[in-house]
Amino acid sequence: MSEDKRSKNEFIKESSRQLRGTIAEGLADVVTGAISEDDSQLTKFHGTYLQDDRDVRGERGKKKLEKAYSFMIRVRLPGGFTTSKQWLALDAIAGTYANHTLRLTTRQTFQFHGVIKSNMKRTMQAINAALLDTLAACGDVNRNVLACGNPFLSKAHAAAHKLAVDVSEHLLPQTGAYHEIWLDGEQVQDKTRPAKPNEEPIYGTHYLPRKFKIVIAVPPSNDIDIYAHDLGYIAIVDDAGKLAGWNVTVGGGMGMTHGDAETFPRTADLLGFCTTEQAIDVAEKIVTVQRDWGNRELRKRARLKYTIEDRGLDNFRAEVENRLGYKLGEPRPFEFTSTGDVIGWAQGSDKKWHLTLFIENGRIKDVPGWTLRSALREIAEKHPGGFLVTANQNVTIANVTAKAKPKIEAILKEHGIDIGTSLSGLRRSSMSCVSLPTCGLGLAESERFLPELLTALEDSLDRAGLKNDEIVIRMTGCPNGCARPYLAEIGLVGRNPGLYNLYLGAAFNGDRLNKLYAEDVDKAGIVRLLDPMFARYAKEREQGEHFGDFAIRAGYVKATTGGNRFHADLELVKSVA
Amino acid sequence: MTAQPLLPKNAPFTPEEIDKLNSVVARTTPQQRAWLAGFFAGFEAAQAGGAAQPQQPAAAAKPRQPLTILYASESGNCEALAMKAKKSAQKHGLDAKVFDFADADFALLSKAKSILVFAATWGEGDPPGRAVDFYNALMSDKAPRIEGVQFAVLALGDTAYAQFCATGKKIDERLEALGGKRAFARVDLDLDYAKQAAEWTEKALAELAPADDAGTATVVHVDFKGAGFAPDDDEPQFTAENPLTGEISALVNLNGTGSTRETWHIEIAADAPGFSYLPGDAIGVLPENDPQLALEFAEAVGLGANGEVVQKLRERFDITTLSRAFIESYTKLTGRTDAAALADQKAFTEFAEDRQLIDFIETCAEKLTPEQLFSILRPLPGRLYSVASSPKAHPGEAHLLIGAVRWESHGRKRGGVSSTYFADRRRVGDPVRVYVKPNRHFRLPEDGNRPIIMIGAGTGVAPYRAFIEDRAEAGAAGKSWLIFGERNFTNDFLYQLEWQDHLAAKALSRIDVAFSRDQPEKIYVQHRLWEERADIIRWVEEGAHIYVCGDEKGMARDVDVALARVLAEAARGDDEAGRAKLKELAKAGRYQRDVY
Repeated sequence: MSEDKRSKNEFIKESSRQLRGTIAEGLADVVTGAISEDDSQLTKFHGTYLQDDRDVRGERGKKKLEKAYSFMIRVRLPGGFTTSKQWLALDAIAGTYANHTLRLTTRQTFQFHGVIKSNMKRTMQAINAALLDTLAACGDVNRNVLACGNPFLSKAHAAAHKLAVDVSEHLLPQTGAYHEIWLDGEQVQDKTRPAKPNEEPIYGTHYLPRKFKIVIAVPPSNDIDIYAHDLGYIAIVDDAGKLAGWNVTVGGGMGMTHGDAETFPRTADLLGFCTTEQAIDVAEKIVTVQRDWGNRELRKRARLKYTIEDRGLDNFRAEVENRLGYKLGEPRPFEFTSTGDVIGWAQGSDKKWHLTLFIENGRIKDVPGWTLRSALREIAEKHPGGFLVTANQNVTIANVTAKAKPKIEAILKEHGIDIGTSLSGLRRSSMSCVSLPTCGLGLAESERFLPELLTALEDSLDRAGLKNDEIVIRMTGCPNGCARPYLAEIGLVGRNPGLYNLYLGAAFNGDRLNKLYAEDVDKAGIVRLLDPMFARYAKEREQGEHFGDFAIRAGYVKATTGGNRFHADLELVKSVA
Repeated sequence: MTAQPLLPKNAPFTPEEIDKLNSVVARTTPQQRAWLAGFFAGFEAAQAGGAAQPQQPAAAAKPRQPLTILYASESGNCEALAMKAKKSAQKHGLDAKVFDFADADFALLSKAKSILVFAATWGEGDPPGRAVDFYNALMSDKAPRIEGVQFAVLALGDTAYAQFCATGKKIDERLEALGGKRAFARVDLDLDYAKQAAEWTEKALAELAPADDAGTATVVHVDFKGAGFAPDDDEPQFTAENPLTGEISALVNLNGTGSTRETWHIEIAADAPGFSYLPGDAIGVLPENDPQLALEFAEAVGLGANGEVVQKLRERFDITTLSRAFIESYTKLTGRTDAAALADQKAFTEFAEDRQLIDFIETCAEKLTPEQLFSILRPLPGRLYSVASSPKAHPGEAHLLIGAVRWESHGRKRGGVSSTYFADRRRVGDPVRVYVKPNRHFRLPEDGNRPIIMIGAGTGVAPYRAFIEDRAEAGAAGKSWLIFGERNFTNDFLYQLEWQDHLAAKALSRIDVAFSRDQPEKIYVQHRLWEERADIIRWVEEGAHIYVCGDEKGMARDVDVALARVLAEAARGDDEAGRAKLKELAKAGRYQRDVY
């Protein structure tokens, strides 16, 4: 028998009895705030990560305390919509069990940080009591499904959101582990999901080789960054304004490893076209092909993007069509214009108003004079229309009548909240991951550093007269890419404390990756490199030319034509001070 | 062991007589020899007087008169005084027996010929915990008459509390009311009691001693120390009066950043012959006052420029405790009417709320001479802390766990003298004066196979660290169960890593925790006791010893109630049955408390 070269996680999944492991026993161990290493791989499938406060790591041992462990809990929220009642429930959970903040993610959902082990079951139960769950929010399964912007804008948007919910439900793990462990075996008003232990018709006993991410887009907005995802659907609306079906994309992904050229971010390829009726089946078959073809030996090469790189798109399509029993259609024409959100009021086809608020780094909290969390709570109490979390970490207050508009505005003003329209275009187009102190992967600050970097860059933009120009800038604390930095016109990826790799040249509409321009740059270095570029861009740009395109035309970087060319054609500048 | 001959070969007796005498005398105690010496001296004196004397000298005929010594002790001070008095009683021709209030009953009282009482007052005028039952019985209508029985009472207390020496005072009154005859006036002593207590005890014993022994006693008086006797084993060599100067070798605030608590783990190198302790014992610390406070205090009485005075205030005197006793002394000294007004009970209570001595001194500031000032201040008392280490695990060291006390009131930032002494004014390498205060009422079972249940909140966990270390070092096989409470899991889990190690090594069998502020409802150790009552009962049935350590009002009282309920349920009885069972366990030494 040949040696079993499968990665460690494959064995953990295999022996987990469908994601049970020893999680329940670990939760009952009161002397530690942690759970076992294997279980902490399994809890991801349940939507939660074990983390620790890295700010205080240094002191803990001296104080005879273990690491300051806590859990991050991620809600599953297909399409990002919550009712106002659900918002209030989530807000209460943040105040009672988490760190008094709600974190909006780049994948249209909420994260709670700082939940200690002894409160885990209560928190999970509170989330479920709000008719939400966290199942498969992380782990080697299909995760939260994103849908373009606002379902209330048009019928196509509504269809996108419906598809997001349907796909998410269809690809949910069927194991009873979640209900057994967190909900004491009880299910909350959900008879559609009977617990079927040892029975995962789609996932089997080993689930997927790696995480799997699905999004639904409605052109011309690419706010959900379709090219960054394993599987995407692009709404195709015919000339009569009717939804004809969906272009299908596969093989996008962000994560890579510093110093490993075998790993790279990749923009998704167009696979074909399917109807709404076929869409769920298409998703299932693509997932099963990846389940069977994906690399289970090398986790960092296990995403669908590498399967497609290694096997070829045509082979992949053939296998999917083989399993479907029919051919996919030819992709239809479409056009994306931007990845950003339109901050401010927008009117839907039903004449209702929707207010998209800029939320810096997606962090909803109260600070003196700027009580965002309280403001949104008050709105949720008084306004029944619900909320949308956007893929840009912003929030949309949905379904506001013309009459109620001034009331919403008054509440925001009272809490010191500017909706964001007066902020610089750069800040409005910014995103960051959480990173330090809670994320175990972070190599450098992200959420806590980006705001001050933007302030420094805004000086340069002011001088260049670019304050209102939208330039997409994204920062992550590690190369795994939670804030999709490789699709930003200015991408910053942490390498070491205070030092970042600077990437330039991505497309404003999200269909081209950027390229490494400088390595290990500190704050001053970033400003020093970008300042003259901004000045030149202001003077030399062509009509409607975006900064990412300009960076290529001006010769700062070569264009990245595909994921496997991400590490090619590098001409790094020396950034030493 | 063979006794060494006492009489030398050149004694004025025949060799046979010397042998015969030695066969008896060599085995005598010092007391017996003293008696013999006194007897012969008295006999000769009587012969020389030539008066009509009885055939036999009185001293020889009369048996020793019994003396019943009773103590009501919380921290062990009264117990130690009682033990010392028992020894001294021998010299006075008294045959003394010592009883803890915890073990006393009416029969004992009825049989007593003369009674000496050492009684401590606890908290707000209460008798010590173990003494409560007999104290209440004594105060009840059922107490027997003790017509003509001689008695004397020594009361210990703390002038910082309103009901100073209340327990001793009430016992003194009660014994008289029951027909007893006060042989010697009661004395009420503050924290600096040692010298006065010794003097009072001598005088009281002299009064209680048989009158017709008086003549003998003067002759019998023997200086045992002169005879070269070793100090008693059970008397600590290092005391508050004679502390050991150790050195701080570690000083860590165990609470994580962001905690609402501040609990200091302090390791003291105290490697000196004679400095020995057992898990369960307390370590006494002689702290120093905040130098800034000492300076302000001196300034208030016009002595701020006097460096020597400031230093003494810092090192030697209690400059924080505001008591009526102090105000009365101060009034007497200064004649100030505003001070006199504050000595009134009601006015004092109102003024003393959240105030300290410095507030009074500044309110009624008066220029004093150093002598005047020192004449009205009491000495800075030592502070006791349950030792947090086993000497087996840390030879030559004593570890303490001290919660920093800090608050702000009346516009002034304040802190506990001893806790801030460590937290703010000591560094690793600094000297610190320490002594041992044995506590034989908080001890591991002698049988290492016995299960133990240790219940503690906050710094109350200290002795359990010592217990578990001790059992780990000894390889004791008995099960152990720690039930620990604090505010927050993440930052307040005192000694968390050590408990994890002890669990892994099976030196600790089980731990349960109650963190009160981690969730909306408050969870305390007593709630865990109730949840785990089936196991508690099982352990008790297996012979477990139960320990409770921590704050009386904040925890120990509620734990006591919870334990009684648990035991009541097991016995299918009411709360009364549970309390009876708990008392039974206490009598058997299986329910021990160290509360403060």
